[in-house]
Amino acid sequence: MDARVQDTTVKGEIDITGVNKVFGQGAAAFHALTDIDLSIATGEFFTLLGPSGCGKTTLLRVIAGFEQPSSGSLRINGAEVAGLGPNRRPVNTVFQSYALFPHMTVAQNIGFGLKMLGKPRREIEATAAEMLRLVRMEALAERRPAELSGGQQQRVALARALAPRPRVLLLDEPLSALDLKLRKEMQSELKRLQTETGITFVFVTHDQEEALTMSDRVAVMSAGRILQMGRPTEIYNAPVNRFVADFIGETNFLVLPVAQTEGDAAHLTLPGGKRAQALLPDGMLPVTGADVTAVIRPEQATIVEPDAGDMTATVDSAVFFGTDTHLHLTLSDGQPFVLRRQNRPGQQPPEPGTALGLSLAPGALRVLED
Amino acid sequence: MRAPLFRGHGWKWLLCAPALTVLLLAASGPLLIVLVYSFLSPGNMGGVVWEFSTEGWFRVFFRRDIFEPDLVTWNQAHLAVFWRSIWLSLQTTLICAFLGFPTAWFIATRPPSTRTVWLFLITIPFWTNLLIRTFAIQEVIRNNGTINTVLMRLGVIDSPIQMMFTDFAVLLGMAYVFLPLMVLPLYAAMEKMDFRLVEAGYDLYASRLMVLWHVILPQVKPGFIAGSILVFIPAIGAYVTPRVLGGGRTMMLGNLIALQFGQGRNWPLGAALAMLMLVVVVGALVLYLRAVNRMEGARRG
Repeated sequence: MDARVQDTTVKGEIDITGVNKVFGQGAAAFHALTDIDLSIATGEFFTLLGPSGCGKTTLLRVIAGFEQPSSGSLRINGAEVAGLGPNRRPVNTVFQSYALFPHMTVAQNIGFGLKMLGKPRREIEATAAEMLRLVRMEALAERRPAELSGGQQQRVALARALAPRPRVLLLDEPLSALDLKLRKEMQSELKRLQTETGITFVFVTHDQEEALTMSDRVAVMSAGRILQMGRPTEIYNAPVNRFVADFIGETNFLVLPVAQTEGDAAHLTLPGGKRAQALLPDGMLPVTGADVTAVIRPEQATIVEPDAGDMTATVDSAVFFGTDTHLHLTLSDGQPFVLRRQNRPGQQPPEPGTALGLSLAPGALRVLED
Repeated sequence: MRAPLFRGHGWKWLLCAPALTVLLLAASGPLLIVLVYSFLSPGNMGGVVWEFSTEGWFRVFFRRDIFEPDLVTWNQAHLAVFWRSIWLSLQTTLICAFLGFPTAWFIATRPPSTRTVWLFLITIPFWTNLLIRTFAIQEVIRNNGTINTVLMRLGVIDSPIQMMFTDFAVLLGMAYVFLPLMVLPLYAAMEKMDFRLVEAGYDLYASRLMVLWHVILPQVKPGFIAGSILVFIPAIGAYVTPRVLGGGRTMMLGNLIALQFGQGRNWPLGAALAMLMLVVVVGALVLYLRAVNRMEGARRG
């Protein structure tokens, strides 16, 4: 195995080894999950990130017990749970649609899990009250779900899933139905709840910003596989392949010839003839003179005087984004390049057609495997 | 604003006049006639004599001794018929609910494309005349019918089991005839149901039985209530099924009423019995509406 799948030997809250999930049979078989290996530590905020249809929700449903893996092992707190139903796993889910019981009050919804566990009524009521306080919904205990706003329903769904004190809380795109402002609010709310309860959170999202801001670790998935797993900074700064680089944030892809290799770095020839050092992925030894794909984030290049920087470019257009401006450039060899510049008072965007010099931050250029 | 001019419905209700006329003539009119007849005296050859009498209503519940007219006793025969009608109708409703729930559940959990086919199959019995279907059941359960013949050939029994002309036969016939009326509203309720709630129930440690009880049944309750009404009301007035399968011994209200207008030649008694049945049905409907209002109220909180 290479570096993209790490820590499989660490025994955590959830240990998944070699899990496959196949829907259908024969020619119609669809591999929703392929060879998933991952380990999630106790108290970790772990995010499964990927575009729709990448298998992240299927993986969550396998952990919850709604789907059984076709093969592989799934342990929660060291105990094998593959084959057990969702009602026999110490795991609760916050559903994308919230799935609150419409015929029950908020308090009854929150107490449902404890009731099913056969807890005494007094304990159920006390816990429900505590959970209502935790999500700041004390005043609405006797309301029905239909009388609540989306954000309030979201909080009730959270409280309901947290009430039985699960070892792991699974969240299936819980914020996708909320508007932007509410979503930001719930993001910090979720983070607060996770810190206060100390429960392991497994969070599914297709929103890369959400994943980067909230998670301790992120697994990027595509077509049923985990492509890369690591801290948000690792994922952002050192994407292992084109898909991850493209999916997380914005990236410039440059096809450049290799001038010289040296350990884990290579010198690439930039448009205009200057050379720049680029980091190589583990085990890759490109041939001198061959073309490789290198990535650089838009904020890692700065504008300098023409001829003073590493490359020269001409401005095609400038798009104002409030905090910063995106400059769409064409490099001297014709490749497109996007540069992000933070806005300062009184600064005017350059006119289309202006020639600029670009200076690349050291270590910003990375060579991709494919 | 021109609103004050058009406030309320004004003269617009007049547009309903044709429908109101039909309702008045076709629904209230005959009902009124039946009500009036129940307070008249029976004619010798059927029909009524225009003399006020409460004898019809009296004989619904009581009977006079032939030799001593002052000796009044409960009319056991009539009470037995009332009781049988209500009891058989309730049992029919229960049987339909028990059989209808899994059936509707099966249909509602099929892929949407095949659901139509299953629903279509459910409605097929409606294409055949009720009488034919009832005779078909008779063919199955009579003494030398399918079941008895097969069981005797197999040597399971020596003499045929008497199934015809029993409460069982009536129950079987009615459950068979009214089952689709339970399945369809149940299916409608289940189709609207959010199946993700079932997953949420399992996720919160509920067993299958608990999910059924706490999550599914409260959701399909409106379907159960609508289906029960649709089964109970026609069942209590059933005529053909008890007539063909129950014979003279297991009579129901519908047969008793028909008897009074026919061989009995006692129209006032028949009219009083018909009004009584109406009271039972309206009573059931009131219970239904109350239950619905309670649920609506609960939903709104």
